[in-house]
Amino acid sequence: MADSKYKPAPLATLPSTLNPAKYDLSLETRKAQIERLSIRARLKLEYLLQYNDPKRQMHIEDAALIHWAYARSTNIYPNFRPTPKNSLLGVVAAFGPLIFWYYVFKTDRDRKENLIQEGKLDRTFKLSY
Amino acid sequence: MAAAGAAVLGARWLRRATRGVVPLGARTAFHMTKDMLPGPYPRTPEERAAAAKKYNLRVEDYEPYPDDGTGHGDYPKLPDRSQQERDPWYEWDHSDLRLNWGETMHWDLDMYIRNRVDTSPTPVSWHVMCKHLFGFVAFMAFMFWVGAIFPSYQPVGPKQYPYNNLYLERGGDPTKEPEQVVHYEI
Repeated sequence: MADSKYKPAPLATLPSTLNPAKYDLSLETRKAQIERLSIRARLKLEYLLQYNDPKRQMHIEDAALIHWAYARSTNIYPNFRPTPKNSLLGVVAAFGPLIFWYYVFKTDRDRKENLIQEGKLDRTFKLSY
Repeated sequence: MAAAGAAVLGARWLRRATRGVVPLGARTAFHMTKDMLPGPYPRTPEERAAAAKKYNLRVEDYEPYPDDGTGHGDYPKLPDRSQQERDPWYEWDHSDLRLNWGETMHWDLDMYIRNRVDTSPTPVSWHVMCKHLFGFVAFMAFMFWVGAIFPSYQPVGPKQYPYNNLYLERGGDPTKEPEQVVHYEI
């Protein structure tokens, strides 16, 4: 094999067995892992208490879902700020398709019109021109 | 009996109603306050700590999207991993999404669900796969192009028709004698 060493890519990440960071057992990493686990355990407890509560009538409101939906919809415009890159992207997205399709249709129709004028187009079964 | 029950319910209802900052007698369906919702990009360390707490992350793990005016706000930038990569044997709260309740969702979660984009490790490196695939396709295309330029087939000659080159079938005069066409040599 030319390159048998696994190189990670955006759509093919490094497996944990090849990642040296996962073999790190220092005190800081362990403490970090414990902190993350304690957050997860707290949320799990909260969820399971509500889930298994026999007197619960309504759905369990998920703050993470509300955050996600809010951040992706309502929170975009307040945090939007026109920058050169933003504005360029906006202009391209707004006017690019219009200009592109204008030229495509124009050249196609002009070519067809020229053929019709010269009498070269077979219009036997065409209802429109 | 009914009056006592109603009084208890009324007291509990009253307590629940006044828990949020709503006027007496009003009940909103939504129980989150403005500070609990995503907000603008955090500038001070206190804002970062508050945002990390809001999103149930460690302060060290919390990394907001860079502030380039595209509207992300203080939403955390989580690693771009698909849900397919997560442990299939752990008891997730939402088993098909491999997600826990209260766990901050990735900005592109709807893209990273298991039915869609998958970032899990491949048996062979991505670059090797690309090289093999495009190399093969390019080679085949090249070979077909060469074959189009230098075609190779069995030797052929013009088709030989019987009955004097189909004289009558081609509208020849039946009274006249056609010229004899002979396709063989003895």
